[in-house]
Amino acid sequence: MSDERVVTVPIGPQHPALKEPESFMVDLRGEKIDAVRMRFGYNHRGIEKGCEQRSYTQDLYLVERVCGICSYAHSTAFVQAVEEIAGLELPRRAVYIRTIIAELERVHSHLLWLGVAGHEIGFDTLLMYTWRDREQVMILLARLTGNRVNYGMNTLGGVRRDIAPEMIPEILKVVDSLEERVKYYINLATSEQTVIQRLSGVGKLTREDALSLGTVGPTARASGVDRDTRRDDPYLAYRDVSFKVITDTHCDVYGRTVVRLGELLESFSIVRQLIKNIPDGPIAIKAPRRIPEGEAVSRYEAPRGEDVHYVRGNGSEKPERVKVRAPTLANTQSVSKMLEDGYLADLPIVIAAIDPCFSCTDRMVSLRENDGNEGRTMSWEEVSRYGVEWHKARGIDFSRVRIPGGAGA
Amino acid sequence: MGVFHKIVRWAQRKSPWILHFNTGACNACDIEIIAALTPRFDLERLGVQLKGTPRHCDIMACSGPVTKQVKDRLVRIYEQVPEPKIVVAIGSCATSGGVFNGLYNVEGGIDQAIPVTAYIPGCPASPQAIIDGFVKLIKSLEEKK
Amino acid sequence: MSDVQAIAAELQSRFSLPEGALKVQRATRLWIETDKELFPQVFDHLVKGMGFSILCTITGLDLGADLGFIYHLAKDGGIMANLKTRCPKDGSIKTITPWFPGADIYERELVDLLGARIEGLGPGVRYPLPEDWPEGDHPLLKDWKPKTAPTLEKGTQANE
Repeated sequence: MSDERVVTVPIGPQHPALKEPESFMVDLRGEKIDAVRMRFGYNHRGIEKGCEQRSYTQDLYLVERVCGICSYAHSTAFVQAVEEIAGLELPRRAVYIRTIIAELERVHSHLLWLGVAGHEIGFDTLLMYTWRDREQVMILLARLTGNRVNYGMNTLGGVRRDIAPEMIPEILKVVDSLEERVKYYINLATSEQTVIQRLSGVGKLTREDALSLGTVGPTARASGVDRDTRRDDPYLAYRDVSFKVITDTHCDVYGRTVVRLGELLESFSIVRQLIKNIPDGPIAIKAPRRIPEGEAVSRYEAPRGEDVHYVRGNGSEKPERVKVRAPTLANTQSVSKMLEDGYLADLPIVIAAIDPCFSCTDRMVSLRENDGNEGRTMSWEEVSRYGVEWHKARGIDFSRVRIPGGAGA
Repeated sequence: MGVFHKIVRWAQRKSPWILHFNTGACNACDIEIIAALTPRFDLERLGVQLKGTPRHCDIMACSGPVTKQVKDRLVRIYEQVPEPKIVVAIGSCATSGGVFNGLYNVEGGIDQAIPVTAYIPGCPASPQAIIDGFVKLIKSLEEKK
Repeated sequence: MSDVQAIAAELQSRFSLPEGALKVQRATRLWIETDKELFPQVFDHLVKGMGFSILCTITGLDLGADLGFIYHLAKDGGIMANLKTRCPKDGSIKTITPWFPGADIYERELVDLLGARIEGLGPGVRYPLPEDWPEGDHPLLKDWKPKTAPTLEKGTQANE
């Protein structure tokens, strides 16, 4: 009992003396974590209410901005629900284009995650390489849609921009190039001992816990949960393509890495199939302004996991109700389990490994001595650095790791 | 010597430390800020560095529409930043609330809470816009001296 | 008979649901409406007896005098059973955390945004509204008007 300290990890700002509402309250036993309690809502903006006060078309732009990394997931999940209520049958070409954009978004998101994970474990070279590679798909998405993020591609009844014939070889070029890069990263993850050691056994989540806590996405699949909405409840053009659902049985951060890398390869395969078979035809049908009374639920496998949108129409131009359940909310339930009995030094990478959709930048850890004194406060950066140094002392040093084939690529 | 070189020299002398603060944004601008530091854009060649502490920061780079949950803290962090305080609002949300303007949990932009020196619009603000904004900011500070 | 139709038929025969309570929207979408009294049994049977082991989320609705609740359940293989119920605004419903430990965050959202009363929901931190959000202020209610005025002075441009 003598070495007990309570560590508070709020999402929030930086100032040590501020009394913060805790976002993650962590009980420490020495260097190990006993238990975690969490609090969210930092990013709550009131979007669902806002949707009721805006037209469906305006809502397309609002819902797209629920998250700036999987914005297309939200836009598409929303518009699919509305189209179902209205009984719209989309042209196949529109559906294919949506699916291509959806998979390209998965690619940018997983590469982003890989870089962030690298940063959290002290492997900044990985951040630089993966984000440099990621620029290829960002540029492609900007050329296809007009923006790097928040593509504005969807309209009620289809998509707003077609894929020009000259863009097809561009898409395939990016896919080919990134596939080579991802193979290097897979090689890195499966053969570089430093990476394997650092990520293995960290953030353990058993299959039973993943199931009972409602975990979704790559986090769940890394615990052997064989679920993927694209296969289980197909939407967009996923019935027309064949792909593997990547699962792993490590149940830890290493597994979550392996799953995302595998999913990148599958995304490249899916995009190639879609390009090969994309039908001709219109890219949108005319949709009514007023959406009839009715309701629908849309499920979409976003990069982080299942995104669920419920929409109710009331016959007017504005929805009666819009409900969004983003995947991160489902996964936050499992974070405390993952942190239990782990080291404080692993807290940053464990949280990063669920690929959380709240801001990754402003987090603080405060250490309070059990006798009531205000203890030291650490910023998220300091906990990250603490983790990096702690592991360095145990032989995990990324400064000597080379990324295969990375130089000058 | 060209203006750009003057700026680069100033920046390298000064090496501004940036404190990045997200006030409830969707993360798109935050990701673009980090992207601006990665090889394709390389904001660091202007001497700009992301640091974690308000006490030593030269420039406060804020994203997001300022949710009610975060406004007090934004103000308090601002108070911690030493003079001269330079605040950059990055993105349309930070500028005016963006699409979130009018939603019940949103104040509507950084300048609803603290004075803003420069606005970099965009949804999200692209890395090119961020760099352009920082160059203009640094140039205007140089001219003031 | 398709899978989803078989599920609907079983529910119909087991619970003698009234006309219109069951709706097969498509192969993976079933909608079920029950009253508050029957809800726990239908819910339990769906989850424990019919394999709907996934809770996607809970949607709360303002239906005027009542609050509506939709429990979006799913099973492996993709079929969703959306179970609807309602209760008066001054009434209460029971927590489903005994079936789904992770459901408390969805229930807290109902409490915060709609003023729902949920029996058996343990103590915990509110979600998603800020700590200092006024009591009794539930923004998702249709007649909600913002009671909280902006508390900050408008900032000035630093260059002025």
